[in-house]
Amino acid sequence: MSSENLLSLIVFLPAAWSLLLLAFDGKNADAIRYFGLIGTALTFGLTLQLLSQYDLTPAPEQLHDGMQFYFSWDWIPNWNVHYSLGVDGISLPLVLLTGLVSLLAMIASWSIEKHLKGYVMLFLILETGMMGVFLSLDFLLFYVFWEVMLLPMYFLIGVWGGPRREYAAIKFFLYTLAGGVLMLIAMLMLYFASGNSFDLLHLAQVGQGQVKGFAFTKEFQITAFLLLFIGFAIKLPSFPFHTWLPDAHVEAPTPISMILAGVLLKMGGYGLIRLAFPICPLGAQYCAYGMVALGVFSIIYGAFAALAQTDFKRLVAYSSVSHMGYVLLGLAVWKVGEKAGDPNLHYWRMGVNAAMFQMIAHGISSTGMFFMVGILYDRVHHRDLNQFGGIAGLMPHYTGLAAGIFFAGLGLPGLCGFIGEIFSVLSCWSFDKTLAIIAASGVILTAGYILWTMQRVYFGPAYKGPHGEALVPLLGREKFVAYVLLAFAIALGVFPNALFQYMDPSVKTLVENLDASVHPQVIETAATLVQ
Amino acid sequence: MESVGLNAYLFVGAVLFVCGIVCMAIKRNGIGVLMGVELVLNGANLNFVAFAHYTPLGLDGQVIALFVIVLAAAEAAVALAIALNFYNNHLTIDVDRGNELQG
Amino acid sequence: MDTGTVLRNLLTLAWLLPLAGFVAEIYALQLRWSHRLSKAPAQLAVACIGAGFLCSLSALLYWGNATEWAALKPAEHGHHAEEHAGAEHAEAEMSPVDALHPAEPEAAADAEHTAVAHAAPVPKFYAGTFYKLAQFGPLEITLDWYIDSLTLVMFTMVTFIATCIHLFAMGYMKDELTEEYEDHQVHLPGGHHFTRPGRFHRFFAFLSLFCFSMLGLVLAGNIFQVFIFWELVGICSYLLIGFYVERHSASTAANKAFIMNRVGDFGFLIGLMILITSLGTFRFFDVENDGVEQTGLFSLIRGDDGKLDVSDDPSVTKSVVYLRDSHGHRLADGTTPRTISYLLLIAAGLGVFAGSIGKSAQFPLQTWLPDAMEGPTPVSALVHSATMVAAGVYLAGRFYPMFPPEVLLGIAYIGCITLFIAATIAVVATDIKKVLAYSTISQLGYMMLAIGVGGWAAGLFHLVTHAFFKSLMFLCSGSVIAGCHHEQDMRKMGGLRHKMPLTAYTMLVGVIAIAGLAIPGVGNALFGQALAFSGYHSKDAIVASALAFSELNPNPLHNILFITPLVTAGITAFYMFRLWFMTFAGQPQDEHVYEHAHENPAIMTVPLLVLSLLAAGCAIGGEDGWLYRLLAFSETVPAVERATSARVATIVLPSHHDVHDVHGTAGGMALLAAFAGTAVAYLLYCRKVVNPDDIRRQAGGVYDFLVDKWRFDTLYDVAFVRPCHIVASWCQGFDQKVLDVVLHTSAAITVVVSKWERTFDEGMVDGLVNLVGTSTTNFGRSLRVIQTGRLRQYVMWIAVGVVVLFVALFTALPK
Repeated sequence: MSSENLLSLIVFLPAAWSLLLLAFDGKNADAIRYFGLIGTALTFGLTLQLLSQYDLTPAPEQLHDGMQFYFSWDWIPNWNVHYSLGVDGISLPLVLLTGLVSLLAMIASWSIEKHLKGYVMLFLILETGMMGVFLSLDFLLFYVFWEVMLLPMYFLIGVWGGPRREYAAIKFFLYTLAGGVLMLIAMLMLYFASGNSFDLLHLAQVGQGQVKGFAFTKEFQITAFLLLFIGFAIKLPSFPFHTWLPDAHVEAPTPISMILAGVLLKMGGYGLIRLAFPICPLGAQYCAYGMVALGVFSIIYGAFAALAQTDFKRLVAYSSVSHMGYVLLGLAVWKVGEKAGDPNLHYWRMGVNAAMFQMIAHGISSTGMFFMVGILYDRVHHRDLNQFGGIAGLMPHYTGLAAGIFFAGLGLPGLCGFIGEIFSVLSCWSFDKTLAIIAASGVILTAGYILWTMQRVYFGPAYKGPHGEALVPLLGREKFVAYVLLAFAIALGVFPNALFQYMDPSVKTLVENLDASVHPQVIETAATLVQ
Repeated sequence: MESVGLNAYLFVGAVLFVCGIVCMAIKRNGIGVLMGVELVLNGANLNFVAFAHYTPLGLDGQVIALFVIVLAAAEAAVALAIALNFYNNHLTIDVDRGNELQG
Repeated sequence: MDTGTVLRNLLTLAWLLPLAGFVAEIYALQLRWSHRLSKAPAQLAVACIGAGFLCSLSALLYWGNATEWAALKPAEHGHHAEEHAGAEHAEAEMSPVDALHPAEPEAAADAEHTAVAHAAPVPKFYAGTFYKLAQFGPLEITLDWYIDSLTLVMFTMVTFIATCIHLFAMGYMKDELTEEYEDHQVHLPGGHHFTRPGRFHRFFAFLSLFCFSMLGLVLAGNIFQVFIFWELVGICSYLLIGFYVERHSASTAANKAFIMNRVGDFGFLIGLMILITSLGTFRFFDVENDGVEQTGLFSLIRGDDGKLDVSDDPSVTKSVVYLRDSHGHRLADGTTPRTISYLLLIAAGLGVFAGSIGKSAQFPLQTWLPDAMEGPTPVSALVHSATMVAAGVYLAGRFYPMFPPEVLLGIAYIGCITLFIAATIAVVATDIKKVLAYSTISQLGYMMLAIGVGGWAAGLFHLVTHAFFKSLMFLCSGSVIAGCHHEQDMRKMGGLRHKMPLTAYTMLVGVIAIAGLAIPGVGNALFGQALAFSGYHSKDAIVASALAFSELNPNPLHNILFITPLVTAGITAFYMFRLWFMTFAGQPQDEHVYEHAHENPAIMTVPLLVLSLLAAGCAIGGEDGWLYRLLAFSETVPAVERATSARVATIVLPSHHDVHDVHGTAGGMALLAAFAGTAVAYLLYCRKVVNPDDIRRQAGGVYDFLVDKWRFDTLYDVAFVRPCHIVASWCQGFDQKVLDVVLHTSAAITVVVSKWERTFDEGMVDGLVNLVGTSTTNFGRSLRVIQTGRLRQYVMWIAVGVVVLFVALFTALPK
């Protein structure tokens, strides 16, 4: 397989697969399921191929501005739009995560009966959209994939969802669309200010004052950054843009919740680190304190809100808000020192790495949590926390696996959630002590709501809700999904460096470039270049 | 020989015309209406010929008169065909019965 | 292989074996190598931890041989300063490739760190790195190992006690070897008891996992790693306390334990943040990486002489501590010296100690430990008395070099308050396990106090001796509970020594040990100390340190630090003997219980005997004995001379010599207190000179206050738990009442605007277009009436029209 086309293959294989599905008879459910499964498995295989071909210590000439597997093709030459893809240490783990979560979600989709063919087709198109977002290096292409991903999601929630699915789907759609519009404005601002370029790498260079003849002023950068930030914060989601998440999760079918929590939320963080920060470093620097504060607030707020829930899925959704707060916190702990190369930079580097890690870890743990909730919901068709209890006695194997996954969410050492959380909190002290202390207090609340939930659902003498007879032991495919997730949770928790070794080189370059670009002398030089 | 003069011709033409008009207006028989039309046309023809003779119009008037005669013949042929068809459809040629085109 | 490698391999094996055991045991039924009625999982667990004990013991012996038992030789106080910080690394393989790129630490990603080796006759510790967790530039976070005599003693102690307790548990938990275990404490709505399949294998799996976590904690070579295993022991404790998941009280106690611990960990986390930000490393020891020394925490703060290098600035807020390398040279960034603010160092110390407070159930986080007695008794013995709760003390001991005197003073006071509160509650407790739980808290307070007043070795000494006698006593109580069919109320016992003599007399050994009774003078010839069980020696050492401290310090308030433990020594003797007399002596209080009481099988009593031997004899020789010397050998900040600090408050830490001087006095007073306590207990509960119920009535208020555990639970419920839920409901309400309402309002406004637009569209825009259409239609319709279809009429119109036209033409047009 030629490495040049590998990325395009990863992006478009699922879409092609969904077209092939058209040829299937809609009544032959098993054939459709297996076909869809093969499609997602092949895509995951391709991402593994990408991982194996990814060069950890690339020679400079192999890189295109830090990107490997770079591919570019004139798409709309009149507007200078390119179809360009590339992967680096920041996007690679997310691509793998997308492949994995899609595969597992497809396995979890086995219980879907309604309009199966349409479901699988939309699912595969969704995967194309997600892959495209993580791999595209052209702003317009990114935007296109962003919107491509949106529509299947709308239908997947709106058709296959729970009782209030229309409300949830519309809420999700409008929120994301609003973010998309802000992003569109920012995109056009940047396009016209950079000499008609959509190229993300080029825009980043302009933003960092490395291109002769163009520069973004500070005010311009702040405006563009804020527009981008709101767009991505909605997706992240950060307080106060988070209220779509609980509704979408509660109404979405289990596999879609898994995708939503596992992959879609990561697009917010990814967008910040791939677009907003590199293109508008001055804006990012200006907003750093606000972002950290917002991140910390989201951590605490999400945890408190989770504590108050009585719907199991809603609780997990709020835990996502809390966990993604660590991402925002880690990304933004950028304190500019007096000179370039200040030691504080290492803490920011640690924070960005931790945020990236937290995205992956949350992708594993929250996917698992939603899956675990889904297993119960499939059986008893309710999610009221006060009507559970005694599951540990009825489904011991399931309870063991669920405990493992919930502990990963709780941030227990040895499991993936710990690494991301603790490093982002540790990196915060050098940024701001008060915020660091508040963020650290999140560990108590997290333990509180997760343990209390476990007590109410799993422990106790007897199951208190309806359909108790349906609580049968785990099926084979359910075990498979749970074990894969738990295995990843443990592996990442015990050997985090396996992931950091991919991320850190890219993060290091990014962090150093950004820090260098906001020092006054660099800005002045950039200004003179324009004149 | 003393000619009767233009006015006389015109007078006859006008009488013919009016007769034709009246004939068209009062006849319920389709053939009668057709005859009225012929009268009108010939009244007009008489005027053309008279003007051709008495004015510098020359042969033009006579040529036009010939045209009108040919036209009248053609028109009569068509009209008779219509009348025949009308009869086939209505078993009469009373034009008052042919009011299907009423708006 | 050099000594370090051998020790590392042995201890790593001892550490990882229980983990393997855990995996095998938890899947005992799924993998079908065992079944629900089989004891095989327990045997595997015993094999794992037993092998771990053998490994640890051989490591201890190997280390002794390699150092020619230097630790056991009579210590000339003052030796240690020169011997500090000797370490060598196990796999000192530095590939030449790495050496070529000294400027790129990342390039040497997999390079082993090489500990800085000093030419010292006997290395104090061995340390190295397992593997790297993460590296961000110079910030490197790894899994390390750090082995000194403290590690070795802890390993041996933990694995030994764990083995005994595993064996005991095989007998104690045999009720679980059934398909239908009936839980008498869980009542179903129907009125009958809850029945479930037995969970024998799972119990041993959790025990194994706990052993793994605990040993990892002891082996840890950096504070971050300590935190990792700290949390892991926390979760194991959670699983074990909540072992009877059907009991609401058990799962609540488990939650409480974990959350209380997390409160402490919150402080721990703040300490970690300060350390990584100010010092840039978590490692205890120094390593050499590509020829550059990466100084560890201990050397950074204590240099090579064990002293804090504090700036002379008198103001505490401006004081800084200069960071030094392992040779005692100040480190610098260019020309500016690297420092850490003194206040920040205090904050870091207090933060890490907050973790200890949580884990060791110190004031104000002590309330979880008594509730943790919901777990099966072997768990209480292993986790909640001997090892895990001692981890807090272990951490305080391990991290001792990082604590400035102000922090130590705080530790001392926390320990002092704790030991008194817990002892007073123990006096009124009637549940046999709760008495032991409060006594555990109290004894942990002693250890903290010792560390706080500079008696480092004394504190850890008490940690080890306490582990033996407390695990013994818990197992005895377990034996009583098992013998009396799960009756835990001491008021229903009495006279049991006739029914279960072995339990009674091994228990008595433990009681004497903890009470600190001794026969002064008898043993002098033999060991140079009083003839006594272990607890006397260690408590003696603690009280001596406290006395020395309070004598040296001018502030009279600090006398509390001596008087309280002294008084509490008496209280301890009182409530322990009260326990023994109520349970084993006197007349049976409840015939039913007494009738059914029986001695337990050998698998439960043999561990009692073994442990009672150690509880009696492990501290033999006191401060000249092998145990104390082994521990004291690892003292990282040797108290060779008095250390005075006068920044926040004047604090003088006593030297070994000072302690030694007051040893006799302190020992005598402690012994007197213990005898007094014992005598009172004897009079009240054995001779019944005064009926204890009368005293209870006389002091009703105090009694209720104590029975309510000083009302801490109520306080926390009101002050924290409920506000938390209230804030949570606020957040939830904010989402629903504010954010969603804003959203819905904006949606509603949009709908209203679009409705208005619809009206406009339909009324105005569409209206104009329709007007054109309708007027055309109407016009056409009005013309329709003249289209009669009457041929003759048309002709009429033509004629009339022509006439009209003519008339018009001739009248209107000009001639």
